[in-house]
Parts: sequence; C-alpha cells; structure tokens
Amino acid sequence: MAEAKYLSEHYSKPEYKTLEGYKKLGGYEQLARALKMEPQKIVDEVKASGLRGRGGAGFATGVKWGFLPNNGEPRYLLCNADESEPGTFKDRVMMEKAPHQLIEGMLISAFAIKSNKAYIYIRGEYTGPAAILETAIAEAKAAGLIGKNILGSGFDCDLDLYLGAGAYICGEETGMISSLEGLKGQPKLKPPFPAVQGYLRKPTIVNNVETLAAVVPILRDGAAVYRKYGTEKSAGTKLFSISGNVNKPGTYEVPLGYPLMDLINIECGGLKPGRTLKAVVPGGSSAPVLTAAECQNATLDYENLAALGSMLGSGAIIVIDDSNCMVDVLSTISHFYHHESCGQCTPCREGTGWMERIIHGIVHGHGNEGDVELLLKIADQMKGRTICALSDAAALPVLSFVEKFKDEFEYFIREKKSKVRGGQIYAQVSQ
Amino acid sequence: MLKSANSGQPSPAMELQSSRALERAVGTAAPTGEMVALTINGREVEVKKGATIMEAFYLNNIDIAYYCWHPGLSIAGVCRLCMVEIEGNPRLQIACNTQVTPGMKVNNNSAKVKDAVKWGLDFHLINHPLDCPICDQAGECGLQDQYMKYGQYDSEMGERKVKKHKVVDLGPRVVLDSERCILCARCVRFTDEVSKSHELGIFNRGDRAEVGTFDGKPLANNYSVNTVDICPVGALTSRDFRFRQRAWFLKDAETICTGCSTGCNVKVYHNKEGLFRMKPVYNPDVNGHWMCDVGRDTYKFVNKEARLLDAKVVNGGKTEHMSALELAKRLGSTLKGTGKSTALVLTGSYTVEEYEAILSYFKNEVGSPNVFHWINNPESFESFDGLLYRGDKNPNTRGLLEVLAQAGITASWKDLTEAIGSGAIQTVVVAGPENQANFPDMKAKIAELSRAAKLVWMGSGKSADLEALSGDVALLPVKSYVEKSGTFVNHSGVRQHVDRVTTIVPGALSLTEIVQAMKGEVIHPSEIPHAGFVPNKVGAGRINNEFTLGRGVW
Repeated sequence: MAEAKYLSEHYSKPEYKTLEGYKKLGGYEQLARALKMEPQKIVDEVKASGLRGRGGAGFATGVKWGFLPNNGEPRYLLCNADESEPGTFKDRVMMEKAPHQLIEGMLISAFAIKSNKAYIYIRGEYTGPAAILETAIAEAKAAGLIGKNILGSGFDCDLDLYLGAGAYICGEETGMISSLEGLKGQPKLKPPFPAVQGYLRKPTIVNNVETLAAVVPILRDGAAVYRKYGTEKSAGTKLFSISGNVNKPGTYEVPLGYPLMDLINIECGGLKPGRTLKAVVPGGSSAPVLTAAECQNATLDYENLAALGSMLGSGAIIVIDDSNCMVDVLSTISHFYHHESCGQCTPCREGTGWMERIIHGIVHGHGNEGDVELLLKIADQMKGRTICALSDAAALPVLSFVEKFKDEFEYFIREKKSKVRGGQIYAQVSQ
Repeated sequence: MLKSANSGQPSPAMELQSSRALERAVGTAAPTGEMVALTINGREVEVKKGATIMEAFYLNNIDIAYYCWHPGLSIAGVCRLCMVEIEGNPRLQIACNTQVTPGMKVNNNSAKVKDAVKWGLDFHLINHPLDCPICDQAGECGLQDQYMKYGQYDSEMGERKVKKHKVVDLGPRVVLDSERCILCARCVRFTDEVSKSHELGIFNRGDRAEVGTFDGKPLANNYSVNTVDICPVGALTSRDFRFRQRAWFLKDAETICTGCSTGCNVKVYHNKEGLFRMKPVYNPDVNGHWMCDVGRDTYKFVNKEARLLDAKVVNGGKTEHMSALELAKRLGSTLKGTGKSTALVLTGSYTVEEYEAILSYFKNEVGSPNVFHWINNPESFESFDGLLYRGDKNPNTRGLLEVLAQAGITASWKDLTEAIGSGAIQTVVVAGPENQANFPDMKAKIAELSRAAKLVWMGSGKSADLEALSGDVALLPVKSYVEKSGTFVNHSGVRQHVDRVTTIVPGALSLTEIVQAMKGEVIHPSEIPHAGFVPNKVGAGRINNEFTLGRGVW
C-alpha cells in the first residue's frame, strides 16, 4: 500500500489556494450540484460514506447531523479549527493549502443541515492559516459563494472566521461554543448536547476541518467510492501528522487501516541511523502510548488502535526512539495538561497539577518511593469523572507511560537519575 | 421554617428565585406534576417528573455528598462529588445534572462510589491550606463535615501546595481567601442569577483559578453577604463577623428579620454576650433562600450596647431610677381614666399581640381614642428593590394597620400635632422604634412630642435625644423582638409567629407585660426574663449547616 492522495490531491499546487485555481481544478462544482439536491440526500450520502469525525472522537458525522431537532430554530454550523492537541498539525496544512476546499465543504454541510450561519473557530496561534482563510472567505464572498442566494439557489449562508485566544480547552466543542459566545472558554454540562442546545442555545453542529473538507469528495464520487478506502468501520482516508524521531516528519494522507510501521518506515523514511523504536503515541498526546512491540502489527484505524488500548484521535503520531527518557516525555505532557486544564471540575483542576508536581519531582531527583503507585491512583480517579475529556486526556498518558515503562520511572526514583540519559541535566521545558 | 400562613399573594421574591430545582422538584410550577418512581440505595422513592437524582436524594433525606449544587442556583456540575452509580451505566454519573427516569436504580453506597467520593474530597483538599484553627468557617465547614462523613483517609499529598491571594477585599462586607476556595462557583452564580449584579468571576484557569472582581467593580450589592452563607468553605467570610466568635460558641434560633416589611426568615446566632450574626432560612413564601445585607445588620440594635437599660423618671431636673416593672405599675395608676388628654403613638416595630393589648388598655382603662401611627419614612414607604428589600422599614406595619382598622382608628399625625399645641393632649405615651436607624425623623419627633406636658417613652434603644430631655419624661425599656414571642404580618399579609430567642436586657418588658403591670396583674414567672447562656440541647453547641442538617429543610 502507499500514500493515497485523495483529499490532498492538489495540495502541492500553489494556485489551489486561490479561488481561480481551486475552480480550475473542479472547485465549487460540488456546491453547485449540492444546492440542487434535497438536503436530506446529502445527509444520507455522508451517512452511507461512513465518514467519522476527524477531530479525535471519531463519531459518525452523518449520525451526528441526524441529532438536530426539527423545531424550526435557527441552526449553526461550527468548524472546529482549534487544532491544539500536541502533535497535531494536519488541519493547519489543509487550511494553508486548500482553504476553499474547507469553505466548499462547509457550505455543502450547512445546506445539508439547513443552517444559514457558519463559523470557523481557529486557534489563536494560527495567524498564518487565519490570514489565508480570511483571503479565501473574502474571495468567496465577492464571488457570491457566501452570503445571500448562493449561486442563485435561494440558499443563504453566512460564513465567518473567529480567532480564539489560544487555549487547548477551546478545542472541546462546548468549550469552543462558550468561547465563541464571548464567555470564558469552559466546557458546558451535557446534556443538553450541542445538537440540541449549542451556540447561543440553538441547535449546533461542530465538525473538524478535515471532516468538513471530506464532504466535497464524498459528494463528488459518492459514498461507494469513498468506502473503497479504509476498512469497514473506518472508511476513507485520513491525514496524519507525524512528528518525533523520524527522518521525514510531516503530514501524510493514507487510507485508514494503513500499517503504522509502513507509515514510519516508508513514508517517513524510518528512524535516524542507529536508533531503535521505543514507543509511539498514535493519536495526539492524550492517546495512550504504544510500545515498539505493540506498534509492529498496529494499523491506523479506529478499531485496531482501540483494541490496542489506545486511540486514533486526531491522527497525530509522535514517534519516540530509544534516545528519549519516558519520564522526561511524560513530564512535558503532564505540564501541558496542568497548564491547559480550565479549572472547572475539581478532579482535573487539582489532579493535573498534582500529577505534574509528582513527575516534576521525579525528573529533578526528588522522587519518593510509592510515587508510581500514587500516580496510577490519581490518574485512575481522574478518568471519567469530569464534564469534558480533558481529565481523561491528562490521565491516559500517565497511566500508559507509567504502566508500560515502569522500570524507567522506578529507576529514576531509586537512582535519582534517568535510565536513558543518566545524570545529564534535562532542560525542563515546563519550569 | 417558621409557622406562617400565606394570604395567597405570590411573593415577588419567590418569582425571582430562578431556581430550576425548586420549580421542578418542589413543584411550584406544575401542581399536577406526574410522579416518577425510582430506587435509591434499594429504597423505593417517588419524585416529580423532570426532577434530578440530586433532588430525589434531597427530598427523601438520603445523604449525598456535594459542594457546588445549591437549590437556589443553577446547576454547575463541577465539584464532582455527587457521584452515583446508575444500574446499566458503567460510568458514574453526577446526581445534580441527571434527570430521573421511571424505574431507575441508583445507589451511592457501593464501594466504587464511595471511593470516587473519597477521592473527590481529596482533590478538593490537596491544595487547601487546612488552616482550620484560624479559619472562621471551622465548626460549620463543608470540607470538615464532609470529610468526617465521607473521607476519613490519610492524605497522600506530599507536594507543595498552590499559593494564592489571601485577605482579598471583594467589597465592603466580604473578604476572600483564595487558598481556601474550592471554586464551586456558587458565589459567582449567585451574583449572576440572584442579585444579577455580575460582580464576581473566576479568573485564570486550572489550579491557578481564583474568584475575583474587576478593578473598580467591588462586590457591593445589597445581597453580597449571601455569598458568604453559600460558600461551603471559609473562602468568603463576612467582614462583620470574622474573628468575633467561634461557631461552636454560638447557639442559633429561628426568627425573622425586622429590617423591613418583607420579614425574611432568619437564624440569629447568639450567646450570653448577645447576638453575633444573622443568616437567612429558606421560606418559599417570604424570602426564598436569601436576605439582604441591610437586614443582616439589624442584630446590632438588639445588643446591650445599643439598648435602654433602666427605667427612669425625669421631672424638673430630678431623676429617679427604678425597675421597669415598678415604673409600669406606677404609670398604671397615673394614666388610668385620664381619657382624651392622653395620646398613644405607635410604630410598626411591635407584635400584633402587643398592639391588641395596648389598644385595649387605652380603650378600656385610659378611655382615650387618641391613637396615632408614626410612619418613619413616608417618601420611600412603597419602594422595593425587586428582590427582598422594601422601603417600609418596619416588620409589622401591616399588622399595626389591621389592628388600628379593627379599632376604627383613623386619626392623622396632624391631629396629634394640633392637639399637643392646643394643650388638649397633656400626656403622650410612645411605643418607640426598635431600630432607630430606620427612623431618620427620630430627633424631630422627640422634639415635637416632648412639647406635651408629660412624655412616656417605651422603647428598646437608648438615645441621646431622649436622655437630654428635661421635662416630665418617663423612659421605660422594652424587649426587642428576640426577647419576646408574637406575630408579625409582612407586606403581603404573611403572618409569622416568632418565639423568644434569648434575653439581652434583663428587666425589659414587652408592651403586653407593661399593660399587665399597669393593670396590676401578676406577670407569669416564665415571662420574667433571666440572663445567661444555656447550651444547645443536643451536643455541645454543635452548629448545624446545610451539610449536616437533616434533609428536607429547604
């Protein structure tokens, strides 16, 4: 198998960024087609394609759209471009290379779910992609693709860009809605779910950039063609962001079900000479880590990674070779979650800080006997106890790192130095 | 809750309690509410359809741990303590945001739930300073109470704690200690939903988050101290009460606030030194869960420092001291049968029973129809802040008006002024204000009334203006509202009976007792006051709060 440039077919062409270039390569043809269709037909097509949310949770997109109540209230479509899971950068590539693909996908989706107002919520640090999107939106507005009576169909849809202030929690859909409403970016209690009461307490659909962009080729080729890629439960292709100790890190599009090791060794050119694989975080920093042994037969799809006790998440693959101390890596990860916890729910607010301080203590040679067990207990009690999944996201790496690399943690606590890098001072990013 | 009877008028305060919990569970909104049966810890219970599991626990007096939930506020779902196990659901759910469904089987006594609650408490406490010995909340603290009930573990927290701001002035009445704060957001929700003044917010995030105000926007609304009441820990303390008394040295008793005609139900906290503070008690017909800050200060006029302590007669530069009982007896003989030359002036501070007794005495023994109503602040009498605080700053204006109407008394203040001026009225007997701060015209009225040949002033408070009088004046100390039992009728006609709480001024009499003495009757021994601190009956001064009380109190 090899890379499947399905969504990213034209990403290498610079003109694809412009409205003119995009149109030349078949852009906005699907929008024109969609506007002549029954909206429900589009929903059915997306449902049939088996497209699952590409933001991390992997919920079936068509099914999500079906949750909207038919109560005549205005509906909102929000594009989640707050790509903030450490290791993830595929949405950024998509927005930089093909802003019109996202806009077209959003307009088709808005038409399908009968929404007349759509927002792209983009993270504060993405000023580059935001500028590109602003230009693209202005182009599309000038061309009558956004606004009143799009392409003479009678369908109105306004689309705007909203720049966040840079918070991981605003990538959680209800946190994002709070932020968009002008409130502090904090997740809301569920129920009610956004599809029933979301933005401004109106029915709202929140989809990831990649999910919305994928609607365009699905409509073009039909669900059957899309389903040819991937596995039965994980249809289509996906963009993966690979970072860490590989020769060619970057964003690669492969069909779901693609072997992890092939992606590392073929697409990414393998590890640095003389290094061996130690671990892989397959779905963003919150996904439980896989050991090198577990990676050997892992395939990149929702079901296989779930069976391995991890998850596909946002498709952010972090490759860790034997030059890294796992305690150091976890120290950085746990600092991130401590810094980003919104502070609403007690277990997450207090637990993230507690875990970071323990791990930080270990890294600085102040570890105590029993820290390993305590970390496991804390993480276990943070799991599934809070409003949103940030607490789980903070707990899962701790559980998996400590359980799978217990020897490194115990060595560090006992010997007051790293098993991998010895007594060398680790440039602690966090402190 | 006090014994009270509603006249049928809905209380505006109640309408403003935007409490989902009350509307749904107590059922003020839907009188024909459908009932749902469920099982809690193996026990069959029924609640109104749409109620939450938390309400089902609460209304059936089943213990459940919680901090952020409050029946008068919206659901936050952030403390994560009210974990319950629902049959068929592998994940523990929070009781406060889960609606009951028919046949639901819920428990909070499995090992899994107990462990989760224990850890939930530990998470609350790891960064808490544990400074109970110097904390005002100690003895009535949600953290202490729930730790004893659901915790009792040894903490494994060995790391340094997060440092935050301490002794922060949120406003003139409330002081914040951020390190003690558990970020339940009750106070923030209170200012958003009840006082609607939006002063408070939570700033920063994670374990650096702190409650605070914006620069130049202090917590200064008239309901600010409610945030202290609902704060489950010692984070918010009342500037008035802090460091003045340990909670376990106080007894509490229910009565009403006499600060205005709303008559909020309150608890007064007292010991032998007097009253120390007041807190609201839930009454859906009167005040819901809250009371105003002005009302909280009304305990001060009851305490000894502000009181008229002895009876005395001043005449022509000669002062004669005696007991109140002795003076009342003497007045009985001088006033009897004086007829129209004696006038009675009443304020809205007394109980219905006292008004009835003294009016009957004036009608039958004195033989005078001259009774007048002293209205303290007529210009703002009808004003209302939309929540609880009313311009009529008397607890019983309505009761007084009812008694006066029954007696057929219609005389105006002008008639009194003229009659004093013409000499038709020689003696004026005044049942003076209890809370003098609410009578801005006190000085003017004293000057006006002392033009009469003889002034008999019955009142609970001391006043320099009264002491300065040199004519024929008799000062008779009367009991404040916490020292007697009786009925107050609030602005909407709710009749509230209050019982005697304590004695502050031994020897002071109620108007009823004065009438009895004037008539030469023997005052019942139990009514003769005594000073002294009697400990609470159960336990040694254990203060009950919402986390330790038996349920069903709200």
